[in-house]
Amino acid sequence: MRPNLPPFQERAGAALRDKTLKLAIDRTTGTAERNRAVAVAAWPEFQSARDLGRDIRAHVVNNIDHYLVEFERNAVASGAAVHWAATADEACQIVVEICRKAGAKSVTRSKSMLGEEIGLPHALEAAKIERVETDLAEHIIQLAGDPPSHIVWPALHKTREQVKELFAASHRDPGAMEDVEAMVQAARRELRAKFMAADVGISGANFLVADTGSVCTVTNEGNAELTTTPPRVHIVTAGIEKLVPSTAHAMALLRLLVRSATGAELTQYTTFHTGPKRPGDRDGPDEFHIVLVDNGRTKMLGDGLAEMLRCIRCGACLNHCVVYRHIGGHAYGGTYPGPMGSVLTPSLDGLPASRDLAHACTLNGSCQEVCPVKIPLPTLLRGWRDRSWREGLEPRSVRRALWAWKFVATRPALYRAVSAFAVLGMQLFAKRGWIESMPLAGGWTAHRGLPAPASSTFMQQYQARKRAAK
Amino acid sequence: MSRERILAAARAALGRTAPPDAAAIRAEAATLLAGPDRGRPPRTGTLTERFIERLTHPKVGGTVEQVAMLTDLPRAVRAYLSTNALPARIAVQPEPRLQALDWSGIATHDGVATDEILAVALADCGIAESGSLVFHSAPTSPTLFSFLPLHHIVALDTSKLLEWLEDYATAYTAAGQAQPRNVNIITGASGTTDIEGRLVRGAHGPGFLHVVLFGG
Ligand code: SF4
Repeated sequence: MRPNLPPFQERAGAALRDKTLKLAIDRTTGTAERNRAVAVAAWPEFQSARDLGRDIRAHVVNNIDHYLVEFERNAVASGAAVHWAATADEACQIVVEICRKAGAKSVTRSKSMLGEEIGLPHALEAAKIERVETDLAEHIIQLAGDPPSHIVWPALHKTREQVKELFAASHRDPGAMEDVEAMVQAARRELRAKFMAADVGISGANFLVADTGSVCTVTNEGNAELTTTPPRVHIVTAGIEKLVPSTAHAMALLRLLVRSATGAELTQYTTFHTGPKRPGDRDGPDEFHIVLVDNGRTKMLGDGLAEMLRCIRCGACLNHCVVYRHIGGHAYGGTYPGPMGSVLTPSLDGLPASRDLAHACTLNGSCQEVCPVKIPLPTLLRGWRDRSWREGLEPRSVRRALWAWKFVATRPALYRAVSAFAVLGMQLFAKRGWIESMPLAGGWTAHRGLPAPASSTFMQQYQARKRAAK
Repeated sequence: MSRERILAAARAALGRTAPPDAAAIRAEAATLLAGPDRGRPPRTGTLTERFIERLTHPKVGGTVEQVAMLTDLPRAVRAYLSTNALPARIAVQPEPRLQALDWSGIATHDGVATDEILAVALADCGIAESGSLVFHSAPTSPTLFSFLPLHHIVALDTSKLLEWLEDYATAYTAAGQAQPRNVNIITGASGTTDIEGRLVRGAHGPGFLHVVLFGG
């Protein structure tokens, strides 16, 4: 979790009051949802492809020790240096050390959520190395000083008007920026020279291919290759779960990843990087380093969260989540937002600091329905709720309320009397079928209406019908 | 050492009592992909038709023309330059087959500049399923040729078209085959959806991709 955050309720409340944020979230997630729907409709085999995706990822997770060793062997044979980092700090130290050895003053980075997870931007800053984010969205949030708010569109919380202001204030040659096209051109001009001047390029990995030792990256913009090709040193930071057995397996997953993320069939640039520059090559890095990062993944494997390690970071569960679409990414407080983030954050940052996330879910199941590798996200979230209860992390008010509910619910006569009374009470506040405000329900009604209950309880109606039928 | 720590933690979590059986794991991985066309998208028309249909789809945004032979490429490039009112100064990939062509009337150089307007290259193969072009890095095929220019003109031999993404894997990455430093699978011109989800072309890579198909 980011340091010094107010409680989740406050963060979510602030996000709900921010109307510009809602507009920004709707613009991107709405487009993503529509584009994905079109791509999926054009693919009759989609469900069987999801089964395949699930099976490939589950196979890798179940044999992760084998694939790590195979990948390392082949990567080293191709001339790569492979480093292992058990923790986020260790990973950052390794990266900073490589940069220091290379005498790096300037580092270009192509978007990587793992880099965010391990706090690499801060580590580079602390080491006084200039960090240039090259993905357009990362460039925007670097200028704004914001953390990412989505795993595919990190600047999704910014409207075009806000981007224009940022560029106007910080670019050397922003131009008029009359439309989004012109803003993209402004960023292209601004970053071009920096790509060529960097000493080190850092990327993430979408897949680590075990049988070739290759690292696969995908981007729309071409910034990954411009980050990894000109500098003398290329460093990859990758979570250990990113492995796939072979290039063919990566291809099957790419189909799912891209359609689920953006609705395209393949990202513009899919690149397999294998080792450093070869004799006679005119470009490419002299050194190629791969940092394999655990940072809690082996713990997840033993902690009943193996299914979560299947995640290919497509972002579909965020785009289809009613909660994410109302509060956006920052309110979640961790590196990863939305449903997948609510499962990952307690594991990465500890349950005491993040127990609210598992509760901020309607369990409507949309995330699981769209997940290309069929991760049972609602079940995993319920697992965290359960654990939070067992570990005594739920506040006393919640425990008391649940005990009271249990007391009433296990006494049918009492339950009927109380619910009949509640229905009557709620009727007093209903207008045209909706309750806009009611004592004790402010937490709900501040941002949405509550459907008014029927005029009598289910049991009352049931009894009445039984009597009428006689 | 973290390597041993991570591997030991993984083995403990998986409940391994013996080292993993590599042959069994390899067999299981192969079985996963064995089903006929498992999970693949639908297809219609000939290989070339499918490639063209994907490449020119608005989501991909490439343009295409067909010529008889590779020697027709300079003519196609000249026409492109004049249609788009571009200067007759271009980068041509240091690939012997391209360098041997008759480029008269155009000033060519074999390196790609940071602000290159137009570069011409020869793709190693194409993938019909996604309308993609594949480049293998080599002394005759620098990677930046595909990323620095604003206009990217790519020649592709139709006999080098493959059906599926997996066919590329089978043909070029089978056991023991040496891998190029970079395999770039390029699907359309560079784009971004980072501002409000709307697709805009020409983010960092080329803004225009034109494919000249020859042969077949
Ligand atoms: S959990 Fe599933 S839907 Fe969500 S990002 Fe991961 S793969 Fe995509």
